[in-house]
Amino acid sequence: MTPCAFRLTKCLLALGLFSLASTSASASSGPGQGHAAPIQARETFDESLTLRPLPDGRVSAAFEFKTVVRGARPREPGSLGRAREEGDVSQHYALFPLELGQILRAHAVAELHLGLRAGKWDYDAWGAPGAWTTADPSPEPHAGVGAGAAGAATGAELYAWMGDAGGGEGEGGVSIDDRWTGLRSALAGLFCASLESLDERRTCAPADAFPPSGTLPPLASQYRPRSNASGSSIGAGGGGYYELRHALQPAEHVCTENLTPFVRLLPCKAAAGLGRLLNPQKLFGADWHGLGVHVRWVAPGGGGGEGGVELVLAAQGVFDPVRLSGSYRSRDWSFQRLFDRLVEARCPVARSSRVYVELPQDVAYSVVPEPTKVEGAVAMYDLLAENAERVDVSLRYLLEKQFQYPTARPPSLSPLTVRRALHGTSQAHGALAVSVTNNLDTPVRVGYLETLPALVTLWLHTLTVTLDGDARPRNDLLTDLTYQPPLPHGAHTGPSVLQAALAIPPRATLRLSVDMGKAFLRYTEHQPDAMRGWDLPGAVFFPLALDDKSYGAGLASAKNSNETAVATTIGYRIHTPNLLVDLATPDFSMPYNVIILSCTLITLIFGSVFNMLTRRWVLVDMDEGLDVE
Amino acid sequence: MASQYVFPAAVAARIFLCFTSLPEYLKYDQQLSTPLTSHLRLQEGIFLYKHDIDPYAGGTLRHSPLFLSLFTTLLPTSRLPCSVLWTLCDFAAAYSLVRIWRARQRVSSSSRDSLIASLYLLNPYLALPSLALSTATFDNLSVLLALMFASEGRTSLALLVTATATQLSIPSALIVLPVMLLLLTDPVSHLAVPRIFPVKLSRAIPLATEYLAYSVALMLACTTLVGSWRWIPETWGASIMLPDLTPNPGLWWYFFTEMFDHFRSFFLMVFSIHLVIYIMPVCIKFQHDPLYAAFILLGVLGTFKAYLSLADPGLFLSMFAIFPEVHPYLRHPIVTALLHLHAAPLLPLFHHLWLSEGTGNANFYYASTLVLGLANGAGLLDAVWAGLRTAIGDVEPKYEVVQE
Repeated sequence: MTPCAFRLTKCLLALGLFSLASTSASASSGPGQGHAAPIQARETFDESLTLRPLPDGRVSAAFEFKTVVRGARPREPGSLGRAREEGDVSQHYALFPLELGQILRAHAVAELHLGLRAGKWDYDAWGAPGAWTTADPSPEPHAGVGAGAAGAATGAELYAWMGDAGGGEGEGGVSIDDRWTGLRSALAGLFCASLESLDERRTCAPADAFPPSGTLPPLASQYRPRSNASGSSIGAGGGGYYELRHALQPAEHVCTENLTPFVRLLPCKAAAGLGRLLNPQKLFGADWHGLGVHVRWVAPGGGGGEGGVELVLAAQGVFDPVRLSGSYRSRDWSFQRLFDRLVEARCPVARSSRVYVELPQDVAYSVVPEPTKVEGAVAMYDLLAENAERVDVSLRYLLEKQFQYPTARPPSLSPLTVRRALHGTSQAHGALAVSVTNNLDTPVRVGYLETLPALVTLWLHTLTVTLDGDARPRNDLLTDLTYQPPLPHGAHTGPSVLQAALAIPPRATLRLSVDMGKAFLRYTEHQPDAMRGWDLPGAVFFPLALDDKSYGAGLASAKNSNETAVATTIGYRIHTPNLLVDLATPDFSMPYNVIILSCTLITLIFGSVFNMLTRRWVLVDMDEGLDVE
Repeated sequence: MASQYVFPAAVAARIFLCFTSLPEYLKYDQQLSTPLTSHLRLQEGIFLYKHDIDPYAGGTLRHSPLFLSLFTTLLPTSRLPCSVLWTLCDFAAAYSLVRIWRARQRVSSSSRDSLIASLYLLNPYLALPSLALSTATFDNLSVLLALMFASEGRTSLALLVTATATQLSIPSALIVLPVMLLLLTDPVSHLAVPRIFPVKLSRAIPLATEYLAYSVALMLACTTLVGSWRWIPETWGASIMLPDLTPNPGLWWYFFTEMFDHFRSFFLMVFSIHLVIYIMPVCIKFQHDPLYAAFILLGVLGTFKAYLSLADPGLFLSMFAIFPEVHPYLRHPIVTALLHLHAAPLLPLFHHLWLSEGTGNANFYYASTLVLGLANGAGLLDAVWAGLRTAIGDVEPKYEVVQE
């Protein structure tokens, strides 16, 4: 825990500095605009916990803490360079965390998603990450983030949509890249995470894979239009446009120091309400755990009502009660067993505070206490209505003495089963192999995204696609290929970005294979513990907008070609686990030796050559002595 | 005579090898092709170019745009036709070496021709890179063609090919001066009777102008092909800035892997200047025989080049065949030969132990590159010594010839 503690100290320092800065900022903020509505009515806070038993005996617990500032709008990026009094509205929040609000407004972020996750999410056994298995954003009010935004990329993932009014720096604007740097630093300080390492070596803009989950507000139109050819941005009318910045640090170790600032953002902290259950001892002992911060803007009208800025703080863990129960091997669970805590008191500022429990099917069970409402297979506890204290929801399987793990693999809960591996034993080159199985009875069309740091270079001309073990290449199933080569050194560094659309016939397995070269780094570029290797971020499979034109002849010769199968896409992003790439290391103790040995050899040859070129020839009489020729 | 069958046998063997699956195993070999000459990277560059992605954007392609244009239009890219093409290039290079020999001897054919050709074709340092489809084969061919045209006094062709050789691989610029001196004089051996350079040097000015004109024209053509100047830092710049630290048998890569960051640019400058610093002294000392000066400078390249592959010392060693007059005076031929015999198996062995087996570390391979460097250096010293020593000729046994 020493590195953990060290990071904690560093973060505390950063936080201290940050709070100093924020104090001065709030002190100097001018009178600002008055608030028409009372603060309490303007902001709402809802919390929910969804408990879902999983087929393998585990339990998924997903917390969602949703704060909405109704009627609020993200800051106009055009106002960034201006003086404070005309630049931005002053910020007074009752429930919305001020420190996060200040970061968002200081960098004019329209939409932000931060994930700190650890473990490997098993899509086949657990379905989609997030509260519910179903991918569709449920109309229920508790479905704050759809599973799509929840994501399960391992490590620290940050992406943000930021607007540019088109003015550029000359007209007082601050460039998106500068704001991205600032945003990273600020969030790194706030969440004690190594987001600083999400620099340009890891930053890219795969806008198709990470579309805004909310609405991007239209930008003011006082600036001249900018022609925009790249597909990575979304026009916002009036010459402004939005751009995505996405970065993933796969080697991030999520730890207690990340949860503490996370809990600090909750209105009731961990003192009351569902936040009470966020016990670091238990959460970080889970088989999979993730923290998420999702900020988006909901447009007025439509389903969003008045609209406004919505913040969802999400925490999820996949607990294994079988393991927690020790020798009992029972999958019965309760708050006490999962979190080692109870809900002691209700959070007074919450508009709603609910616990949802997905009830098991075809098994005898008992769930205590009595749910407020049971709807279908979901039991709901309204903690506010019950006004309960010391709530301990528990679920017992009545006829089960010991949990028997299913012997046969149950049908996959995910539309796609993805495997990704590095092949080859050499430290100089290897191959990346991806196999995607379509578990549906319809053809699936899906986007495929690889963002690899410049540690590896894909040799795209060796990319081959095969179907179902058939050796014939089926590269026609891979379309719309875009590729951005990696930029290893120098002024412009960046990851390689490979994006393509895959068409997978029903119940078929698509195999992709591409050779790659591994980089040889300078000895100063290696990270500590260099022999461990480097983490490569996982691939992303993302939903595609389907149109008949692009979905063409790819599947004409597929299995069910006689049927006119309608293609579908997946409902949420699927992240594959990280990979570890083994790079060759130099001997770190050798710099002086190498300089000495190489220089000796070079000077030996150099000296001898110039000796020969400059010295005179003489004949030596071996009997008498020197005799000059 | 057996020697008359050597050449056909070499032909047969080389053609046979390129139809085997040997090239598949050799294409990743880092002794045979460097990032600047690797066929894999060339194919990747062609793929990117065909898909409208700037191949020079990402440090992937470090070949000259000339390769890019030739292989996207005229020349084949699939494995078997490539193997045949590379073999043909080797034959053309061997033939140029024979023509240089004939020009030096002022004969139209000689009994030594097939020996010289087979020494080029069967030199494993040259045959293996060619089988691995390393574009070093083209670099060597262009250098030999330049020397051949220069030896035969065909000024414009020689300068054009020299400019092409420089375009393909910037370190080849070392032979520009000897080629011009060769064009002003003759390729005949004057090693035994040194003389002052017989022609006024001012006559080299039009040659230099013509060379520069060709170079600029080629540069502009390349820039037009690629659409930007971006290829210059990626191709020529790579030989100076060493952005890619992929291991090779040369002396640069591990030195700059282990270099302290704040000394990197200083030592890059030192190493680059070190290469250039040989040109004038060698050309002055061997002003009586510019072809020999070119030979020495190719030896310097084969030892100290930034991205060295085995094809570079291979060219130098094969060229020994056209200077039989120096063979009696080589300084330590046995030591040199043994060093090469030592280095040649050590390099692939330690490379494999380090990168594939994981039982050796980088120092193993580094040590074997030092041995190869020593072997190449010893060969260079042999050549310099013998080239100067020839002038003394044979002496009575009671005398020893030494340098003061």
